[in-house]
Amino acid sequence: MTTMYEEQYVWRLPVRVYHWINAAAITVLFLTGLYIASPLMSSPPGEATWYHGMAWIRLIHFATAFIFIANFVFRLYWALFGRDNYARFAGFTPWKPAWWGQPFKDQLASYLFIAKEEPNYCGHNPVAALTHFLFVFCGSFFMIFTGLAMYGENNPGGFIDTLFGWVVLLFGSSFAMHTVHHLVAWVFPVYLVLHLYAVVRHDVVDKSSVTSSIITGYKHRVEQCPELFAD
Amino acid sequence: MSAKGESYAEILEARGISRGDFLKYCSLLSVYLGLSASMVPRVVKAMETKSRIPVIWLHGLECTCCSESFIRSSHPIAADIVLNMISLDYNDTLSAAAGHQLEAVRKQIMKDYKGKYILAVEGNAPVKDNGVYCMVNGESFLSVLKETAADAMAVIAWGSCASFGCVQNAKPNPTGATPVHKIIRNKPVVNVPGCPPIAEVMTGVIAHYITFGSLPELDRLKRPRTFYGTRIHDKCERRSYFDAGMFVERFDDEGARNGWCLYKMGCKGPTTYNACSSIKWNEGTSFPIGSGHPCFGCAAPGFWDNGPFYTRLADIGFVGTDSTADKIGAVAVGGAAAGMAAHAIGTAVKKARDSKPEPTEVEEG
Repeated sequence: MTTMYEEQYVWRLPVRVYHWINAAAITVLFLTGLYIASPLMSSPPGEATWYHGMAWIRLIHFATAFIFIANFVFRLYWALFGRDNYARFAGFTPWKPAWWGQPFKDQLASYLFIAKEEPNYCGHNPVAALTHFLFVFCGSFFMIFTGLAMYGENNPGGFIDTLFGWVVLLFGSSFAMHTVHHLVAWVFPVYLVLHLYAVVRHDVVDKSSVTSSIITGYKHRVEQCPELFAD
Repeated sequence: MSAKGESYAEILEARGISRGDFLKYCSLLSVYLGLSASMVPRVVKAMETKSRIPVIWLHGLECTCCSESFIRSSHPIAADIVLNMISLDYNDTLSAAAGHQLEAVRKQIMKDYKGKYILAVEGNAPVKDNGVYCMVNGESFLSVLKETAADAMAVIAWGSCASFGCVQNAKPNPTGATPVHKIIRNKPVVNVPGCPPIAEVMTGVIAHYITFGSLPELDRLKRPRTFYGTRIHDKCERRSYFDAGMFVERFDDEGARNGWCLYKMGCKGPTTYNACSSIKWNEGTSFPIGSGHPCFGCAAPGFWDNGPFYTRLADIGFVGTDSTADKIGAVAVGGAAAGMAAHAIGTAVKKARDSKPEPTEVEEG
């Protein structure tokens, strides 16, 4: 059997730009966040006014956080209103039992080596969509809310504190919230491992060039896409 | 007993305090309350004309450090005002009377000043098993608290015990110790946390009530904004060392001797709201960080459960161990990597097996 590779434009430019800004922002946020929690740099001798080491790291963390938030909000807009079949929320309906039906089960069975077939989706497969939702969407949401609540503490009674200060109450104290923010940040490196493994594996198994697709936007269709839903 | 209708100024005059000292005290009070200079005459007028507000001071599960702090208000007149106010009414630690005699006083005040007295509560009430873990005069403190609060004008929860629970309701909270605002829900409650709170903060809250006839502006945790509006970190004298990244690594190192930032020694200043770094303690002498010890966040809710005190990252109970967020995270990443590696091997095995028995399915390239 000779395989016909059909080029398919899947990830439009806004999605690809979002992806890489997000990847860079999360990397910077995670590393600066770890640094803020436990500053490693050995203290230089001299006057405190000569240095701004910690202040710079915090500034980078905060500035990157706002880029991350803007990017996230843009992605939400794109998911809700963008005319983009592969990047929309429209198909993602986990509150409906139907969503957990055959496509999801087949995909999970294939990942668990129960089924022999490897379904190959043009966009996200249902298991991938769920993983993205849990890690990237929920994770980001959590980090943004707790992060803004902590940022608001720099200016009590200010704009951000007024909007997000209530989040602190959910955790009891500011310190407890810092701890949870720190703990949940680890969701991203865990996700990175799963994500990188999954794309490389799909490249190898499906030969769909999923890895390069997030740069070029093109995937290669090797076989017929299964229908996610029969409308 | 108390002379009804006597104003603070009259009490002070009777005690031989000069007019000049009285005005100085009023100015200082205005500063503590964060009022503008134009408000000083209002404070003076209130102190001259308003009659004393009776205060009943109850002690529940607590250590009396709040009372100790309170009687050490830095300004002598502040202490005088406070002591006049309390020794004449009810405070089971400071009163000369004791036993049934004192309980009779409490009942009398509750009757004479129904709806007009302030209830100050030091400590909290254990609610488990009908409150038997804190008994006062044969009655559970829980019922004394409810009874006394019923006719109070407002309730002031002194200290971290009354405000948030402090050590008594740290995990596992065997007596069901419950902060005052969770028991008294139908009265205005002011939380004045700290273990103990700063004396000036305590007198300031009462002075605000006397001056304006209302409780001070409160934040989301019912704390007076004036004193709990900012973190200790934001007004800390060592803040520049934090921003510079100059940290004490050990209590005996060069940085410790030079007064660098105690962040890495577990300082909770960045997450603790109190006025320690501005008002300070013991007549403005110093405060923990000023003396080279990290803040351990005694004014923050649940601070006993956010330990240890001397490390920055809290211990998080995780499958029976004390771990930090980073340890748990690293284990999770390691677990994910191991899982993916196992899956990769599974994939390779599957591919090899799939391609063997049915050679027709092998792609021709």
